[in-house]
Amino acid sequence: MQRASRLKRELSLLSTEPPPGITCWQGAERADQLRAQLVGGAGTPYEKGIFDLEILVPERYPFEPPKIRFLTPIYHPNIDSAGRICLDVLKLPPKGAWTPSLNISTLLTSIQLLMAEPNPDDPLMASISSEYKYKKELFLLNAREWTEKYASQQKRVRSTPHVSSPSYPFAFHSHFVQCSSPLPFCPVVWMPLIWLYFT
Amino acid sequence: MKLEKDNVDNELSGTLPFIKMESSDSSDKGNIDQSEAQRQRQLDRLDREEAFYQFVNNLSEEDYRLMRDNNLLGTPGEITEEELLRRLHQVKEGPPQQNSDENRGAESAEDVSNGDSIIDWLNSVRQTGNTTRSGQRGNQSWRAVSRTNPNSGDFRFSLEINVNRNNGNTNPETENEPSLEPSSGEDLENSQSDSEIPRSESPSVRQPGSERSTSEELTTEEASPPRGQRRARSRSPEQRRTRARTDRSRSPINPVSETPRRSHHNTSSQTLDHSSVNEVEGSSRTRQHVTLRQHAVGTEMPSENAVLFSSPETRPAPQAAGSSETNGTSESAAPGQRPPTIVLDLQVRRVRPGEYRQRDSIANRTRSRSQTPNNTVTYESERGGFRRTFSRSERAGVRTYVSTIRIPIRRILNTGLSETTSVAIQTMLRQIMTGFGELSYFMYSDSDADPNGPTPNQNVDASEPQNGGGGTSGNENTDVSSGEVYEGGNEGGSTSGARREGRNTRGSVTFEESGSLPFLSLAQFFLLNEDDDDQPRGLTKEQIDNLAMRNFGESDALKTCSVCITEYTEGNKLRKLPCSHEYHVHCIDRWLSENSTCPICRRAVLASGNRESVV
Repeated sequence: MQRASRLKRELSLLSTEPPPGITCWQGAERADQLRAQLVGGAGTPYEKGIFDLEILVPERYPFEPPKIRFLTPIYHPNIDSAGRICLDVLKLPPKGAWTPSLNISTLLTSIQLLMAEPNPDDPLMASISSEYKYKKELFLLNAREWTEKYASQQKRVRSTPHVSSPSYPFAFHSHFVQCSSPLPFCPVVWMPLIWLYFT
Repeated sequence: MKLEKDNVDNELSGTLPFIKMESSDSSDKGNIDQSEAQRQRQLDRLDREEAFYQFVNNLSEEDYRLMRDNNLLGTPGEITEEELLRRLHQVKEGPPQQNSDENRGAESAEDVSNGDSIIDWLNSVRQTGNTTRSGQRGNQSWRAVSRTNPNSGDFRFSLEINVNRNNGNTNPETENEPSLEPSSGEDLENSQSDSEIPRSESPSVRQPGSERSTSEELTTEEASPPRGQRRARSRSPEQRRTRARTDRSRSPINPVSETPRRSHHNTSSQTLDHSSVNEVEGSSRTRQHVTLRQHAVGTEMPSENAVLFSSPETRPAPQAAGSSETNGTSESAAPGQRPPTIVLDLQVRRVRPGEYRQRDSIANRTRSRSQTPNNTVTYESERGGFRRTFSRSERAGVRTYVSTIRIPIRRILNTGLSETTSVAIQTMLRQIMTGFGELSYFMYSDSDADPNGPTPNQNVDASEPQNGGGGTSGNENTDVSSGEVYEGGNEGGSTSGARREGRNTRGSVTFEESGSLPFLSLAQFFLLNEDDDDQPRGLTKEQIDNLAMRNFGESDALKTCSVCITEYTEGNKLRKLPCSHEYHVHCIDRWLSENSTCPICRRAVLASGNRESVV
């Protein structure tokens, strides 16, 4: 398993010098499941939103790209309602552009860029895409509304988590952690304590 | 959560010291212990990983190649250095042993119940390129040949299993054989077929004598395996006259290029896989030809064909197939029958993307083409995403059936590699493997259509000399003598005359459906290794080996392998791609076995296509 050592390196890099607006940490249940948070870029309709992502690192990583999806609903032409992301670097060649020289940090940066610059010509959500193309104002309105509704820090405290993640049975705990923590906070440190607290 | 735990436990109980980075279990207490233990495991892993790199770096190039080709390296951290060392020694001492008959035989004996050993072997074969292995056990002997074409990436495999049905009864065979082979009828046929097919060019012609020396030797004569065919045949040497040649297959097209093998006693059956129609299509596929041939004595052979046909499916392992058949039929069959031989030839060919597209428009389940000159008929059907092509060509009483199935690889992957695949696949595979069970369906549905028209005529015409010579034709004669027998075989292909009659009796032959037949797994193996259009294509071992390799020196500028994000250390083996990017040998080799571009710059690694891959 090359992925073990590589993941370790990547995680240490991510924690020591994370890209701006990106946090990533190891999940509590599984080592091959990472969690990340992206901060909506300024000037985009996602501004002030914090978006949760789930990263599944396959057995064959880095020879296979990690599977990344949004847990937080986001109104975006290339991200569907299940959080799946249409991005070439997330797929294997020849269709995709994944190579082992990429890493989770670069992928998250790419996703951040995709949020700022949707690609309506390769849409996953056709309706949002056409809206983005032809009714930009409406799109911005909707996107902002979703950001406000699902991704804003204040709302997230009270609203039930919208994370639709059957494979993630402890959404509540992780949600709790996210809500109670400022961004640079690394929940992985606190997880055991929280577990103990709950049990 | 429980699952998680089970996973961990399973892994721990595994034979390999394989440790997954499972993180904290949620069981209330023991949480900390768990993570403690886990941390320890991770540390162990990392130690092993270090040791792995150390080990790989200390290997000589030959040793490295040897281990890699035999898939012994595993992945870093998975196995201990000692284990690696042990494997190396084993493989170094191993080669002769592995080829030895005893070894092979034992293996086949042990694994009669499943085809796994063969699959494993295939896996290794596939990596090592051209290999020939043979073995013998009891009354079964086998020979397998695999070839890899480094240029095209084609992979070809043939497996031939020969079973001596009368283990204690070899004398009659040897006695009978001479009378069979060189007899006039055969000669006649020979001359006839020679006119069609310049047999003399076949490099694999063997002398009858040598073949006859051991009854089990039948299998070893494939000097140059033709592609994609599987043959089951059985013959009874006596009485050539009444011998019903219910099925004789020879592809009418492109006879020379295909290097027919077993040419002499195969006079009647030669399958060449250029059955024109299929050639073009299938973005990647496994091609199989079934030639079922019978030199059967009409009266005595009734059960033989059915038996042969069913053998691949009802028996757990190829070796077993024949032998149990032996038991099953020996009572009814005449004592002096020739041992049946099961031949399985498979080829996996890579087809350039787009090649398949041209034919995409062909309507489903329609006979797309009927060529009178070659009597080639093609059927296509599509069901549940699997495209089947079935084609039949006929000439001079020789019929070739080709079945092609194209299954998008992801379909299989989705259903899980190790588990039994979906029902659809299984049925389809079973159908191929059981001699085109669906053929009869086509026959039914198309019975009124023309293929019957032209074929019999040609058939009769061409086979006239044979009829005169020794009654060898597969036509109506056959029906009378052993057509009923051949019912099972009819599906695989008897001549048209027999086929008609066969249709009536077909129901009497039932194929047992057992999921564990080895051929099924063989087919699965090949299908699984098939490339879909969308799948990344890797380089072959040969192509990878042709890339430059060197040892890391401290003065080098780029110090980190971008695949494993690990810095090179002195003595690391690096591979340099044409674009000058370098990686750890073991890192890049793995990537290139499935992809063909440089991880950093995405340039195609192969010189021929040194283009930027468009993404």
